[in-house]
Amino acid sequence: MKKHIIYLITVLLSFTSYSQLLPGTLDVSGFPSVSQDISDLVQEAGLDDGGIGFESSFDATLVGFTLDSSRDPVFGYTTTSSSNCSENVYRYKVYMHTTGAPQNIKIEARTTFNSGIRFPQSAAYDGLSFKPLGPRDLTPENGGNYILIPNDGAAAIKVFEFIGCREDIPIQFRIEANSLAMAGISDMTVYYTVVGSLD
Amino acid sequence: MKSIIKHIAIVVFVISSSLLNAQETLNANDTNTFIFGGDQQTNTLSVELLPIAIVDVEPDPSTGISGSADLTSLEAGLPFTGAADDLDGLWLNFTHRAENFQNARIFVSTNQPVPAGMSVNVEIIATGTGGDFPSNPRVGQVNLSTTEEVIVYDFANGYTGDGLNNGYQLKYTIDNPGAVSLPDGFEIIYRIQ
Repeated sequence: MKKHIIYLITVLLSFTSYSQLLPGTLDVSGFPSVSQDISDLVQEAGLDDGGIGFESSFDATLVGFTLDSSRDPVFGYTTTSSSNCSENVYRYKVYMHTTGAPQNIKIEARTTFNSGIRFPQSAAYDGLSFKPLGPRDLTPENGGNYILIPNDGAAAIKVFEFIGCREDIPIQFRIEANSLAMAGISDMTVYYTVVGSLD
Repeated sequence: MKSIIKHIAIVVFVISSSLLNAQETLNANDTNTFIFGGDQQTNTLSVELLPIAIVDVEPDPSTGISGSADLTSLEAGLPFTGAADDLDGLWLNFTHRAENFQNARIFVSTNQPVPAGMSVNVEIIATGTGGDFPSNPRVGQVNLSTTEEVIVYDFANGYTGDGLNNGYQLKYTIDNPGAVSLPDGFEIIYRIQ
């Protein structure tokens, strides 16, 4: 109990001492490539091909967000990224959009409940009986079903959110291509935008 | 008054539930939205789409997608009035997607020579309104033979919709003054390329 109170005070003090969120780094790895197979094609003449989707592997892209290490300006000691993540738990929302997507192609993305790994794997926050932001979990939007990714940065869409730092969150893509789309290989840029908040 | 309150309550409830279901969006072009406590990164997504070129005549005279019409059931010598309804009840459906938006054509031919003394002609007499495709049919009758003839001129990617009243309506005209029969296995073949 004493430990919890001390931790709570520490957390509250850290919230007070930092009037803004600590800076962090988003890590995105993987070059997802999705190829249509002949079994993915429309089989009946006259029908559109757009209703038949085809998917990437479930972990075509891995996303993670961790707080940066910091250096105390007075005493000069360094606090590691792991410690910062352990002591400063925020809410992070992840939005996605594309640029350069061809016309008549729908790009969808998803992840699953609690995918990825907490960073650090255990933190004092986890032991609190009252967790201000709830457990350090990941919650996908749309119940973990696919979400249409807009080809418009002004309307990036939220795909999931998580509490605390997290690594290796897998992103799966699904493509639906209208018959009016051009056959062949098209490359587009996928943007991942993380927004942190205290509440 | 009670009724008005009830209606207002329903409207408020509907608006509230629609707001709850709305998915959150963000102007990710504005760096101020994520510069403090957030970040933005990118990667490249590569998508490969296969070309599609499939054609079909509806209703299917046989099983599956044959891409051909079988007129062997027609018997030369029978009154043409009896078969006339069937000879203009066929519809040509297709789905087409090409690399670099290259145009396609639809060709028609027979798998065997039409017997001497007989001529078989096909004509597109109507265009359906289903699907999404640029219409460019050949006007007038095409005299069928084993040599391919264009029946639909250059068209870009598209799909006609499936089944009757979609794509192009076909009408066959048979001139058979000698009352000869079509050979067994006689087929009319449509090819899209």
